[in-house]
Amino acid sequence: MVEIDAVIHQPVRLKIMAALKALPSHEQIEFVRLRKLVDATEGNLGAHIQTLEQAGYIAVEKDFADNKPRTRVKLTKQGRRAFEDYVAYLKDLIAGPEG
Amino acid sequence: METQAISPEQAADALKQAAAAEKRSAQAYRYQRFAPYLFLWGVIWVIGCGATDLAPHWSGWIWLGLILGALAVSIAVGRGAEPSRSKSNWRIALSFTTIWAFIASTYAVMAPVSRMQQGAFPPLVVAFFYILLGLLWTGPRLIIAGLAVGVLTLGGFFYLPQHFLLWEGFVGGGALILAGMWFRRV
Repeated sequence: MVEIDAVIHQPVRLKIMAALKALPSHEQIEFVRLRKLVDATEGNLGAHIQTLEQAGYIAVEKDFADNKPRTRVKLTKQGRRAFEDYVAYLKDLIAGPEG
Repeated sequence: METQAISPEQAADALKQAAAAEKRSAQAYRYQRFAPYLFLWGVIWVIGCGATDLAPHWSGWIWLGLILGALAVSIAVGRGAEPSRSKSNWRIALSFTTIWAFIASTYAVMAPVSRMQQGAFPPLVVAFFYILLGLLWTGPRLIIAGLAVGVLTLGGFFYLPQHFLLWEGFVGGGALILAGMWFRRV
């Protein structure tokens, strides 16, 4: 069996990384929007975002918009590379030794 | 790097989950980027059709002013955007400019014989453009928005000729405004 990045290979974190990967580089997405995209609760998403941030895969920016706190997230270069490597591993694993 | 072992079956499932999430995110992003333009043109439509109904002899100047104003707003939005969005904002603004250039050119070549034809043609072009863009790139919401604008326009043209402009303004323009609000949601 192939060893794979366990930080990414968790259902909610995988969706977070995939959702961020779909955006243009440097594009951020708001926490509220990301929560709806990955179908997670606020607490659940917060915990997974913290894990990904600690791994260096995403960058979190907090500020205020219209006097309300706002959290935005984007994929880092390291995160983009890690996700691409992760997908490549999956494809190699599916293809098997002949692929 | 923390690692774990997985089977090919688990890998296939993970790839499927990732692809679905990526697709959903990309589509939501495209809708969100398109939303302000739907809203803008919906407002333009309401104002333009309403004003034309009140002052039909001024319709040419009314629409010229509104379209130029809308294009200026679109360009200003493109210019003020973050660098990652600026290029695509310019493309969207230029796309709308192209549509209106096409409409103006068609009027010059095949002059409409009635004010109703003049009023119905632009929304039908926009409806066609939205459906095509939805099919090729953006997604089903734009197809639905295009179909709604097209059907409402044709319905008003054939079944409410005496109130067509007001119909087009409030129902057609309203549909675009609602579509803009819908497009902002995930």
